[in-house]
Amino acid sequence: MSILTLTESPSPGWLDAVRAEHQKMFSVRSTWWTLVAIVVLGAGLTTLICATSAEWLASAEADEAPGSFITWGMMIAPVGAVVLGALAITTEYGSGQIRSTFATTPARGRVLAAKALVLAVVLFLVGTVTALIGYVGGNHFLDRHGIGLALEGDVLRAMYGSGLYLAALGVMSLAVGFIVRHTAAAISLMLALIFVVSGMSPLIPGRVGDWIEKLMPGNAGPSIATPVDFNPNLLDAWTGYGVFLAETAIVVAVAWALLRRRDV
Amino acid sequence: MIEAHSLTKHYGDAVAVAGIDMVVEPGRVTGFLGPNGAGKSTTMRMILGLDRPTSGRVTVNGRRYVDSPAPLREVGALLDAHAVHPGRTARQHLRQLATSNRLDPRRVDEVLDLVGLTEVADKRAGKFSLGMGQRLGIAAALIGDPAVVVLDEPVNGLDPEGIRWVRSLARRLADEGRTVFISSHLMSEMALMADHLVVIGRGRILADCSMDRFMAEHAASSVVVRTPEPGAAAAALREAELEREGDVLVVRGLDAAQVGDLLFIAGVRVHELTTRRASLEDAFMTLTADAVQFHATARTPEEVPA
Repeated sequence: MSILTLTESPSPGWLDAVRAEHQKMFSVRSTWWTLVAIVVLGAGLTTLICATSAEWLASAEADEAPGSFITWGMMIAPVGAVVLGALAITTEYGSGQIRSTFATTPARGRVLAAKALVLAVVLFLVGTVTALIGYVGGNHFLDRHGIGLALEGDVLRAMYGSGLYLAALGVMSLAVGFIVRHTAAAISLMLALIFVVSGMSPLIPGRVGDWIEKLMPGNAGPSIATPVDFNPNLLDAWTGYGVFLAETAIVVAVAWALLRRRDV
Repeated sequence: MIEAHSLTKHYGDAVAVAGIDMVVEPGRVTGFLGPNGAGKSTTMRMILGLDRPTSGRVTVNGRRYVDSPAPLREVGALLDAHAVHPGRTARQHLRQLATSNRLDPRRVDEVLDLVGLTEVADKRAGKFSLGMGQRLGIAAALIGDPAVVVLDEPVNGLDPEGIRWVRSLARRLADEGRTVFISSHLMSEMALMADHLVVIGRGRILADCSMDRFMAEHAASSVVVRTPEPGAAAAALREAELEREGDVLVVRGLDAAQVGDLLFIAGVRVHELTTRRASLEDAFMTLTADAVQFHATARTPEEVPA
C-alpha cells in the first residue's frame, strides 16, 4: 500500500510561479505593515501638508504651485516600495527559504520575473489608491481656499503616475536585493541612491552636472508622480519615467545575470 | 535514480567534491555517510541544481534536475530544516510549494497528516522546534509524491520516536520503489536505516557497497584468548592471523569455536576465550581517519603556548 497518493498533474509554468509568489507575498506580516505604511504616509502626509499650507498657497506670497503639494506624501511613500521590493527576496536569502524556492522552481529567471510581476501590480494599485486618497484629503483643504485642483490632466496623470513610479521602484529594489542578498544592505543602497545621491547631484557644476541630475533615478522617476515638480530642472514626466524604466531594466538584467551563475 | 559522473566542486581553492562517480539506485535506501565537511551537502545541493558543478555532471532520472518539467514530482528534498521563512505557517509554506508546481492543493493536508503536523499547521514555522522543523522539511520533500527522495541529515534534532519514524518512512519509500538517498555523519544511524552505503571523505568516495558487505569487510570480528601458555597457543593457532600482547592473543580469521577446539587438541590451558566484534563506528572512523577535515589535536601541557 502506498503511503502517498500518486497524482497526475500537468507541468508547472510561469503562471504557477506567479501564483506561488503572490501567496508568498501575502502570507508574511511585513507585506501588510509595509503597505499600510505606504498608504498612511503617502495619503496622510499629503493631507497634512495641504491642510497646513493651503492658506499660504492661496496668498500672494506663494512661490510654489498647489500642484506640487497635492502628491507631497508620494515623496515619502517610495520608502515603503523600496522596503517591500527588497524584503520580497532578501528575507528568502536570510531565512534559507531561497534553497526551497530554487529547488522547487529551478528556472531561476522565472522566480525573478514572477516576483517582479507580483510586486509591480501590487505597488501600482496601492500607489495609485494612496495618491487618490491623498488627493481627496489634500484637495479638501485646497478647495476651502479656492485653489482646488480638478482630477484631470497632469493631476490625474500624477495619480496613476504614483502607482507607476512605486511599481518600477519596487522592482528596482527587488533586483538590488537579488544582487546583494542582504536586507539591510539592499534597503540602505536603495535609499541612498534614491534619496541621498539623487538629491545631492545638483551640487555637480556645469552642463554635465545638469544631466547627471536629470538622469539620476531618484530625480527621473518621481516626476511622473507629481503634477508640478518642485524642481524645474528635471525631465518631463513621461521622459523621466522612460529613463527610470531603462535604469530599472539595467539593474534587473544585472540581477538576472548573477542569479544564473551563482550558487545558492 | 541519481547518477554522478566525475562530479567536482571547488569553492575558490578549497575542493569540496573531488570528482565522484556514483549511481544511487531506486528501491533501496542508500546512506551517504561522511564526517562533517566531507562534501555530503555540497553533493546534494548539486543534485538539486542549487550549486553548479565545477566539472562533471549529475543527473536525476537521466536528466539534469534543472531541466525537469515537474521538479517537485521528480525529486523531493530536505536540505536544511531552516529553509523556511519563519513568518509563514506550516500550511502556508506547503501551500505555496504546491501552487508553484501545480500540485493538487489537497496534498498539503495529506503531507501534514503524514508527518504529524496537522495540529500545528497554522503555527508560524519560526516558532517550531528543531524536530518540528525537520518534519515540515520532510513534508515539503514528499508533497510532490516524488520518485527520488533526498534527505540531508533528516534525524538531526529528532527525538528517539522521531528517529524511528524517519527510519520506517525511509524503508516504506524504498519499498515503494523510490530512490532514497539519505546523508548522515552517524554510522550507527546508517547501520539501522540503509541497504546500501556510499562513504565520502574529503570529497572522495571511500566505499560504495551494500551494508552487509561493508559490515563483513570493515567490521571484522576477532577472538581474544588469555592463556598462561601463549607460546604453545601461538603454535597451535599458527594458521590464523595472530597478535600477541603478553599472555593475550588476538586471533583473526577463525571463530571462537575453532580457536577453542584447536587449543583443546593442542592441550593448551585457556583462561579466557572471547569474541570481539569491531563496531561499525570503529570501521567508519578507521576508514575516514585520513579524511577528517577538522582534527581535534590533543596537546601536552609543555606544548601549550604561554
